[in-house]
Amino acid sequence: MLCEKCKKRTATVFYNENINGKTRAYSLCGECAAKLREKGDLQEITSMIGSFADPFSELNDSIFGGFFGMPTLRSASAEKKCPTCGCTYSDIAKGGKVGCPECYNVFGDELARTIHAVHGTTTHTGAVPSRHRAKQERMEQLKKLKKSMQEAIAKEDFERAASLRDEIRKMESENNTKDGE
Amino acid sequence: MTMAWYNTTGQASETVISSRVRLARNINGYPFDSRLDANGANEIIEKVSAPLEASGFRKINFADLSPIMATSYVERHYVRPEFATKETPHALLLQEQTGIAVMVCEEDHLRIQCILAGLSLDEAYRNASRTEKRLDEDFDFAYSERLGYLTHCPTNLGTGMRASVMMFLPALTRGGYMNSLASQLSKIGLTIRGLFGEGSGSAGCMYQISNQVTLGITEEETLRKLTEAVHQITESEQKARKAINGEALERLTDRILRSEGTLRYAYMISSSEFIRLFADVRFGISLGIINGITYEQLGTLLVDVMPATLTLSSENTPKSETARDKLRAQKIQNLLNRKS
Repeated sequence: MLCEKCKKRTATVFYNENINGKTRAYSLCGECAAKLREKGDLQEITSMIGSFADPFSELNDSIFGGFFGMPTLRSASAEKKCPTCGCTYSDIAKGGKVGCPECYNVFGDELARTIHAVHGTTTHTGAVPSRHRAKQERMEQLKKLKKSMQEAIAKEDFERAASLRDEIRKMESENNTKDGE
Repeated sequence: MTMAWYNTTGQASETVISSRVRLARNINGYPFDSRLDANGANEIIEKVSAPLEASGFRKINFADLSPIMATSYVERHYVRPEFATKETPHALLLQEQTGIAVMVCEEDHLRIQCILAGLSLDEAYRNASRTEKRLDEDFDFAYSERLGYLTHCPTNLGTGMRASVMMFLPALTRGGYMNSLASQLSKIGLTIRGLFGEGSGSAGCMYQISNQVTLGITEEETLRKLTEAVHQITESEQKARKAINGEALERLTDRILRSEGTLRYAYMISSSEFIRLFADVRFGISLGIINGITYEQLGTLLVDVMPATLTLSSENTPKSETARDKLRAQKIQNLLNRKS
């Protein structure tokens, strides 16, 4: 489901608004919800539905407390489960720890805010495991070859372009075998 | 042979007791610790132990260990208290002469740590990294290009590296500078916490300074930043030590010599009293007030007279608090008389 506000990102935050007995459900993405919250719009709605269940009330001691202190927001991911370990987002929020490496993919959007709040960024720089290093090097080599091939074509050096193309194909098929290991 | 960190001193020993670097790693194909069952944990322990034992590591299976033995590893700073008391299978692989300790099935599958005396973060990192590389050959570590090494707790994402330096800061503590130091450090992504103290106070004037952030910063940059901070803190501490004079110095000298007297001659010494005496005497050595005791002796005591290690060292397990405090005083006096 797309966010009602930006209509671009997936909606991950839902809340109910109750005005004079009429209930309307909203679906928003994390970013739009945060923006609304900053502007104070969400706070207003929040106060009107103060009795709504509070899934984050136990978070005061965990690192999530400060950042996910969104009292009446209910995250859609509370129902979503990690297919690898079965962990839900509320499990993560409760313990402050994720269930398995795959959780970082599954709950990527939800965790991004916390990660950013803790580290000030969401992009790694530093050591790389050897398995990834080899893959990264192969990808970079491939990029270089493709660029050379384009250059050769531009110069109408088709003989060179053909030999480069063969090299690229060979590398790509090798990559596929290696990734499948 | 190099000695364990607590039996020796290193660079900047006036203010630095030890340096530690630890790398958090997890193995793909297993859930993280909170969702890992005993079979999975045992499997990881077995797989990781093989290459490490082959390269001279000693395996200590914590499941078979008595609580007192487990605590003695905490007292030697090789494992965290949470690790010692963990209920699911977990093991330590230790190479004491290089200071490398690999905790298996800690909060992360692997916590590769190196602890060395003095300010030696670079060497500690090289040691930990060497062991990490050895394991990287055999294991597919959980990693994503964007988030780096994937860890159980998001606070360790990225490099998974926590570097820390244990500093001895008696003059800054006395001068009441610790709070402002803490707020300055937090601005540059470092944290400080007191050791051996209740609440915010630190009776032993010992503090652990470490990096807070692990994502978006390289290992080298983190180590450089921390080392620089330690140098700056050392400079302030030295200035504060030199600034003590007149009446204040007289009173401090008296206090330090009384502490030396207690350490040398008391009949019973509790562990909290020892920490206070340790701080006074170490301060006394640095000020030139005490000559007959060395930093190395004090460092050894810092581990040897802690409750679990002390109890283990005695043939007859002390049955009461009083017996233990008596044993502690004896142990201290034996060591001080032996070497000085």
